[in-house]
Amino acid sequence: MVSAEVNDPIVTGGAPMGVAPAAVHNHLELLADMGRDFASNQELEVTLKRAVERITDYVDAEAGALFMLSPCGQELECDACIGPVEITGLKLAADQGIVGFCVQRDAGRIVRDVSKDPDFDASVDSETGFKTKSILCAPMSVKGERIGAIELINKRGGDGLFDDNDLHLLQALSFSAGLAVLNARMAAELVEQERVKRELELAAEIQRSLLPDTKESDFPVKGVNLPARVVSGDFYDFYPLDDGRVAFTLGDVSGKGMNAALMMAKTASLLRCLGKSIKEPGRLLTLVNEEVCETATRGMFVTLVHGIYDPESGYVRLANAGHEPPLVVDKDGNYTAIEAEAPPLGISPALIDEDGFPETEIDLDGGKLFIFTDGVTEGYISEGVELGIDGLKDLIKNAGDTGIQGVLNEVRDRIGGAGGALRDDVTLIAIDDGTATHTKNASDSHAEAGATGALGEKVLQLRVTAKANRLRLVRNAVKETALFCGFSDKDTGDIVLAVDEACQNVIRHAYGSEGEGDISIEIRRRSDAMIVVVRDFADPVDISKIKPRDLDDLRPGGLGTHLIREVMDEVDFLPPPIDGGNLLRLVKKFGS
Amino acid sequence: MEHVVSSAESATIIAFTGDIDLQTSPDARKALLAIVGNGTGILVNLAGVGYIDSSGVASLVECLQSAKKSGQKMALVSLSEGALRVLQLARLDRVFKICDTVDEGVAAVA
Repeated sequence: MVSAEVNDPIVTGGAPMGVAPAAVHNHLELLADMGRDFASNQELEVTLKRAVERITDYVDAEAGALFMLSPCGQELECDACIGPVEITGLKLAADQGIVGFCVQRDAGRIVRDVSKDPDFDASVDSETGFKTKSILCAPMSVKGERIGAIELINKRGGDGLFDDNDLHLLQALSFSAGLAVLNARMAAELVEQERVKRELELAAEIQRSLLPDTKESDFPVKGVNLPARVVSGDFYDFYPLDDGRVAFTLGDVSGKGMNAALMMAKTASLLRCLGKSIKEPGRLLTLVNEEVCETATRGMFVTLVHGIYDPESGYVRLANAGHEPPLVVDKDGNYTAIEAEAPPLGISPALIDEDGFPETEIDLDGGKLFIFTDGVTEGYISEGVELGIDGLKDLIKNAGDTGIQGVLNEVRDRIGGAGGALRDDVTLIAIDDGTATHTKNASDSHAEAGATGALGEKVLQLRVTAKANRLRLVRNAVKETALFCGFSDKDTGDIVLAVDEACQNVIRHAYGSEGEGDISIEIRRRSDAMIVVVRDFADPVDISKIKPRDLDDLRPGGLGTHLIREVMDEVDFLPPPIDGGNLLRLVKKFGS
Repeated sequence: MEHVVSSAESATIIAFTGDIDLQTSPDARKALLAIVGNGTGILVNLAGVGYIDSSGVASLVECLQSAKKSGQKMALVSLSEGALRVLQLARLDRVFKICDTVDEGVAAVA
């Protein structure tokens, strides 16, 4: 409230004294009217103007003005006024004049006769032509928070001078006005907070929609994301490519909150859009890095792992841009961490050499791959206890039959359920190459289900020296396999021809006349098709040069490749594995 | 793979048995080209050939081209289902004269 000042005419706060009961009734009525004005839904400015009018009229002054202290406390500005001179918008220094005096000392003041007061600033009068005789001023403040002051000029009638009763009255009214301003400000803040909260929730909803749908229970890649705040700087994504492989991404934007979330949305969108056509993780990250570097602000960066998983072969190719090492768990339970060999995205395009981000190839061979943000390993599972990398390994070891979904659930429950706010966004994706392993064993109860799954059952694995005199052996093995899978004699003949021609291409083109190496043939049976992958271990062949022959040109050469394309439903030269060699994938559908 | 060469009227008959593939096609090619230039019609009996691949087909194509240059006619006879399939896939079933029996073939290359 209003503090006391030693020297008269400064008056301490309190109720108006020495006022007749009828007057008290009128005071209360005025306060009630003002209260109603402030409670109405009008603009604060309109209400303040109305309040100044009422107060000026009630105290019977010639003019009244309401000054508000600027948020920085440097300036007083007239927000509303009544009287012969319009001074709305007038600005004063926070300690200027009688108003400044009252605001600074948080005390009311009466200057009965300005001509005798040294604090009176005559500059406003000289500008406006108004003749100030007497001033009454009371601060608006609530619990020490200074809001401004109301100033009245010249008592109407008589000698034109105010008395102490007038000051008491103005102090009470100013306090009410101050409280109303504060309430209005708090209400506006609440509305703003609510709006920001709603916007954040909308942003979070859009973010969640950027994450892939994981409802398909037999999909080999799964993920989980727990934002530490409403929105997250982490993200993950996975989607099938048109060649049957699966692209996956997990990233962590530096920082948390809205700026990280926006950066996340941009990076995730770039990767998803470009990732469908650029199937080389290293080259993709190089492009995205250039884009992120061009537009990244405030030193933000993204650590990220992007890769492609081939359910047919169990191979994963990935590129790691400065992210936590992904964890490979082989089928015997041994762990290998894949360390990053390149800096995060958004640091500098110059740090990446010409070949792009380095790629790593991993043969999962029935094992699992876990990629996660540090929010997982540094997440608290109880008061002050981090899960840690060993804790994560334990979760994986103990997941048993619940598989990767079990690990994801455990991470979510342990860290998300530990109580208290999350320290950081928690994100984890996992790839399970184990389905293929299950189907190898005929006595396994999963065999039936696995045979119809996406991976298919491996029915033949053959590795022979790449020599012409081994082709008969290959043909016989492929023939028996095709018949075993249920193909007709005619289709079996076609498949044998295609595989034989594929092996010829290896012998003649991949290894050439001098080189010597092996050919590996793997055949899987799916519910709808048989898939043959022919692999050699020679230098990569320029795929663009292997074309079906021009049929008008009778020279031999491309005829073998033409025959393969004629008889098989799908023929794809897959990108070469990291340890060299070439992969040719042939698909023959049942009943085609 | 083996082959036997015989004569019938104005034709030379070469009969293959076994698979003609990357391993055996060089021998088949050599045997075929050996007949080119002797002035007779060339009849290739594939009754004993269950499998022929692109390299075998290429040998047949090379023989046909050489035979044409030297004014000799050439026909294929007694193709297995598999061999005919490969020629069809290679769109060569109309390039070669294909006969069902040896007699038919001998008449065709006369």
